[in-house]
Amino acid sequence: MTAATHTTTRRPPFWRNIRVLRWTFQLVFLAAVVLFLLFLYSNVTYNLDRAGLPTGFSYLEQPAGFAIPDSDFRSSQALWEALLVGVQNTIKVALLGIVLATIIGVVVGVSRLSSNWLVRRAAALYVETFRNIPVLLIIIFWYLGVVIRLPPIREGVELLDMLAISNRGIVVPWFDKVGGAALFGIFALVGFAVAAGAWIWRTRRFDQTGQPHRRVLWSLGALLLILAIGFVLSGRPWTLDTPETGELSTSGGFRLAPEYAALLIALALYTASHIAEIVRGSILAVPRGQGEAADAVGLSGFQRLRFVVLPQAFRISVPPISNQYLNLTKNSSLGVAISYYEATKVTQVSIAQSAPAVQAILVLMGIYLVLSLSIAAVTNLFNRRLTLKGRR
Amino acid sequence: MGDDDDNGGNGDASGDTGSAEAGGGGGQGGGSLLQEVQDRGTLRCGVNDAVPGFGFTGEGGEPEGFDIDFCKVIAAAVLGDADAVEYTPLSAEQRFTALQSGEIDVLSRNTTYTASRDGTEGARFLHTTFYDGQGMMVRTESGHQTLEDLAGETICVLSGTTTELNLESQFQARGIDYTPLAFEDNEPLQAAFVEERCGAWTSDKSQLAGIRSNWPEGQGGPEALTILDETMSKEPLGPVVRDGDDDWADAVNWAIYATIQAEEFGLTSDNVGQGSDDPEIQRFLGEAVEGEPFDAGLGLPDDFAVQVVTQVGNYGEIYDRNVGPGSALELPRDFNALWTDGGLQFAPPYR
Repeated sequence: MTAATHTTTRRPPFWRNIRVLRWTFQLVFLAAVVLFLLFLYSNVTYNLDRAGLPTGFSYLEQPAGFAIPDSDFRSSQALWEALLVGVQNTIKVALLGIVLATIIGVVVGVSRLSSNWLVRRAAALYVETFRNIPVLLIIIFWYLGVVIRLPPIREGVELLDMLAISNRGIVVPWFDKVGGAALFGIFALVGFAVAAGAWIWRTRRFDQTGQPHRRVLWSLGALLLILAIGFVLSGRPWTLDTPETGELSTSGGFRLAPEYAALLIALALYTASHIAEIVRGSILAVPRGQGEAADAVGLSGFQRLRFVVLPQAFRISVPPISNQYLNLTKNSSLGVAISYYEATKVTQVSIAQSAPAVQAILVLMGIYLVLSLSIAAVTNLFNRRLTLKGRR
Repeated sequence: MGDDDDNGGNGDASGDTGSAEAGGGGGQGGGSLLQEVQDRGTLRCGVNDAVPGFGFTGEGGEPEGFDIDFCKVIAAAVLGDADAVEYTPLSAEQRFTALQSGEIDVLSRNTTYTASRDGTEGARFLHTTFYDGQGMMVRTESGHQTLEDLAGETICVLSGTTTELNLESQFQARGIDYTPLAFEDNEPLQAAFVEERCGAWTSDKSQLAGIRSNWPEGQGGPEALTILDETMSKEPLGPVVRDGDDDWADAVNWAIYATIQAEEFGLTSDNVGQGSDDPEIQRFLGEAVEGEPFDAGLGLPDDFAVQVVTQVGNYGEIYDRNVGPGSALELPRDFNALWTDGGLQFAPPYR
């Protein structure tokens, strides 16, 4: 015991010094990681070399050779341009999928807490079904089981000349540019400015007088009115292009390729089942007293949901939902199974057409990393704005 | 694959990075794959499992077909046992990666020999076992006769094949507008074709013939499909091994030549046991001529040709059994006839 009092006055030797030890361990760990990565790198390059395989990235400049359906891509263009088309297709399915999944997910999630037995049970059935089936199976089911079993094109269904359905695609009317779009653009800008003005005006008035603000009604009304006037004055810059079914393919309108439609529906339905659970959980996480307080001040059931419960639930649900957005984006790589040309499919095809596998997969991983980080950046920004001040 | 490669042992290249695994023992100067396969006692063969006549799963659940038989030929020559083969079914997109990584010893999966594959895939193409060309198959009821009739049509194709590239370049050159639909495997492709998602199916003519012959009666049977007369490309198909292992490549090549040489000599699986007085045939069969059996220095057993022909058959037998006029595919020999019959199948002299 007496010895202990002596040691406190002396500095411990450096191998017992906690600061030295910490630094040493950190450095050793870092060195180990760096060495490991170096080993992997040299191993890969050594073995590629030994097998007589190319080690650089110059293959990206080579002409692709293969065609990509539903794009302007020509087979004589470089491989990196093919990859770009693939990334565009990934983004196309991810963005629309996120929107659809969110809408379906919120509706189903709220329905799961409905007081109506039938609605509640139906929502539960939906969630339990889709959440418990692998997404790849859902995708293949929608493609092989539903979309390509639509009638073949010679027996294609046409509804009122507006909608053409066959297994060569689902075609809806779309705008066809005629001219005078620039003038219309000016009208559109003015329209948005007026709509914003109306919004601010109604908000101020509400703050001052307490009258119902009806911002959405005012702004949207103003915008639509100005757009309508602009459309007529600029000489109808767009006409509606309706689908026309030929013998082998449809022309005109906007065509949803079967592969795209199947992937989009499957991803949206699958992800929506997860989002629904998050929404339900978030609503339940709002303290019960909040709802009771809303009842106490005489808010209606809808108002209670709209003004008290949902805003708070929303805050809770943003981080987990953004996680689902990332999942959806990454799951879009399963489009490979049904021949949808997203980034993974393009990479796979290019590997089979003699692009070096290791480099091509590295590039693909980089692409998904950038995509995911971008989505995370947007949702994080959103989350930060939503967070209650002082609750960081 | 790890444990198979460790017994390479004598690989001098394995020391410096400690990464002998990925190389699969197919290195320069070190142990040849030939030695490794003989030590292991089985041949690992990358095959197709979805093309009737060439590589598919037969009724007994065993792999069958023209390409499968050449796996057996190699095993019979190298190991003396045609059944000592481990089959790995591979998709078109997986095949070269499997070969490069050493997962398989030889790729026998209707693979077209091209310059860029020879150059950048680290692959060595061996003797062409089947000279093929790309064709186009349509539903008979569609009435399509020529490629030009297909303007505006959606065309199904396997992705990662030379077929996919030929389709694009041929239709580009002829200015025919079309939509490609490229699948990884034959199963979803067939589903898409059945449902008329695509109106035409392009592939090697032999493959199309195989698929047509197996077309289910419920879909109208073979009569429901027509293969257009036009041939869109030349497709020499043959086995492939990794670059940089000459001993192994020679062994595989001569195993294949043995089937062709046997047919030229008139040796079949039935009569090869009877022997011959012809010294050339005796030399080929590894019989002792003037004391010693002939050793070509290929590292193959003396009697490898006997094993190949008794256990699997000569080239003509393999052809007839799987794809020839007697089979469901009914493909004429055409280019695949022996050179003596005006075809392209030619084996260098065995001496």
